[in-house]
Amino acid sequence: MKSNTTRVIAGIAVVVVAVLLLIVLKDDGKSASEESDSASNAPAKTDQTSGGNEKSQGKPAIPTIVIKNGKPVGGVAELTYNAGDQIRFKVDSDISEEIHVHGYDLMKDIEAGGSVSFDFPATIEGVFEAELEGRGEQIAELTVNP
Amino acid sequence: MTTFFLPFAHALVARGDLPIPAWLFAWGASIVLIVSFFALSAAWRTPRFEEDHWRPLGAGLSRALLSLPVQILCGAIGIFLLGVSIYAGLKGTEAPDRNFALTFLFVTAWLGIPLFSVVFGDVFRPFNPWRAVGRAVGGAFTAFAGQRPAHLAYPEALGRWPAAIGLLAVVWLEVVYGASGGVAVGLAPHAAGLAALIYSLYTLAMMAIFGVEKWCQTGEVFSVYFGMFSELGSFGVKGGRLGRRRPLAAASHWATMPGSAAMVIASIATTSFDGAQEGAIKGAVEQTFDWLVDAGLGLTASLRLADTIFILLCFAGVALVYMIGVRGMATVGGAPPAKKLRMGFAHTLIPIAFAYLVAHYFSLFVFQEQAQFTYLLSDPLGTATTDLFGTASGGIDFKILSANAIWYVQVGALVIGHVVALTLAHDRATAYWGDYRQAARSQYWMLAVMVAFTCFGLYLLSAANG
Repeated sequence: MKSNTTRVIAGIAVVVVAVLLLIVLKDDGKSASEESDSASNAPAKTDQTSGGNEKSQGKPAIPTIVIKNGKPVGGVAELTYNAGDQIRFKVDSDISEEIHVHGYDLMKDIEAGGSVSFDFPATIEGVFEAELEGRGEQIAELTVNP
Repeated sequence: MTTFFLPFAHALVARGDLPIPAWLFAWGASIVLIVSFFALSAAWRTPRFEEDHWRPLGAGLSRALLSLPVQILCGAIGIFLLGVSIYAGLKGTEAPDRNFALTFLFVTAWLGIPLFSVVFGDVFRPFNPWRAVGRAVGGAFTAFAGQRPAHLAYPEALGRWPAAIGLLAVVWLEVVYGASGGVAVGLAPHAAGLAALIYSLYTLAMMAIFGVEKWCQTGEVFSVYFGMFSELGSFGVKGGRLGRRRPLAAASHWATMPGSAAMVIASIATTSFDGAQEGAIKGAVEQTFDWLVDAGLGLTASLRLADTIFILLCFAGVALVYMIGVRGMATVGGAPPAKKLRMGFAHTLIPIAFAYLVAHYFSLFVFQEQAQFTYLLSDPLGTATTDLFGTASGGIDFKILSANAIWYVQVGALVIGHVVALTLAHDRATAYWGDYRQAARSQYWMLAVMVAFTCFGLYLLSAANG
């Protein structure tokens, strides 16, 4: 009875620890790669916009989201910041729309063929969408870490 | 193979939760394990929650709160709020965040009432609009016909299954049906209003067939769902009298009919699905969606079908884990039949279901209630021209919660839910197994079940929006 008990407990413990290690290590790997991303792009934080045309003039590159036929080129742009950073990005569009940054609740009109820039402090932590308000198309996901 | 971008639109969630960081995940999981092993060694040997230790509150207070005028008033409030929601849904703006219906039905009521139920008891019962209508119609019938309305006998074998299936349907409507797909509260206000109307007709018909109180106990999704959470708290009504009981004690006698386990499993599964589709299973859902589109289905149909498959898989997965626990317990000497075990331990999952609910929707609730009591209250239709109470220009302050505060509430809820669930399971085992050692042995199985659910919950939080 006693040895049985110990065995069951040990079994549960081994399984749980294995699962935990797996998950924690996996997450560590992810955050490590994110850190290296941000290190290479520092100090502009991560700029993962695939459609971005970067101007490397020593100044931090401002990510640009290009809208073609009402959709973001290269998919939803993922932009990551830390609280207190300045959130800067530019949108080029081939259609006339309204861009809405949720949570921060910022609205800017954009003309067909025109571009607008956003520049505001990251004061709210969380995950936010920027979308073309008229068609409900998400163009960017802004992550603000504490 | 073609890859499509999922049609995606925000609904109510303007600020999404950040995934919990790895260190907090590790801490949460470690605390869960330490608490669990402690529970194994230092536990009580006779049941403590099988009897409720009922203490009635003052007779005057009971009589006032349960009096007919108060009942009529509460029922009327319930009917009024349901009516406003249906009207706003059908006639108001289609912008989900500006329409009273979505926030009231899916946040204020759907998420708020479980919270109130745990603290104050079954608060939904007096305000239940369908019960109020049913009782009024029944009373009028009795007055005119001179006899009580006759009902069909409810098939007892069905038990709470209609409510459990209804719960899946409600969450399916909320999360899957909206054309935006895979978004919490993703459906359009008009669809929500129409659904509320259809559900009202269905419920009133069922009440007419089986009787008002019978249907509220078995098939009325919201009565059964909110009632389930109210069993955790200490306030209740017994023999027409308000009273207090030992917290958690009422839950021990909740799972008395078939489908009870299905109800609580459906609750855990649907919350899991909503959390998982933001991160953990996002890739798998998109993969399935691509396959279905390649197979020739339309975009919306593919999205709904993919989500439907995964919501059912979640239900099956949660049920499987619970059934493994039950089968395991049945192998311990002196165990009651598996069927009795299955029903007898269903209530031990209620705290887990509640913890999942808090962990996944806490921030949404805090943010959205600010809208509920400012612009949605003053401008329920979202016309931008109405200002009933002068609060139409209010808004949501998203700074009210820091990311850290949300994380601590999430992990705290899961850990506390885990401890309470273990407590109930251990207590039930001491009641079922006369021999303390056997009872303790049976609980290794439930311990594994609870650890699995809690760590899965933590994992979902760490993978949200991943």
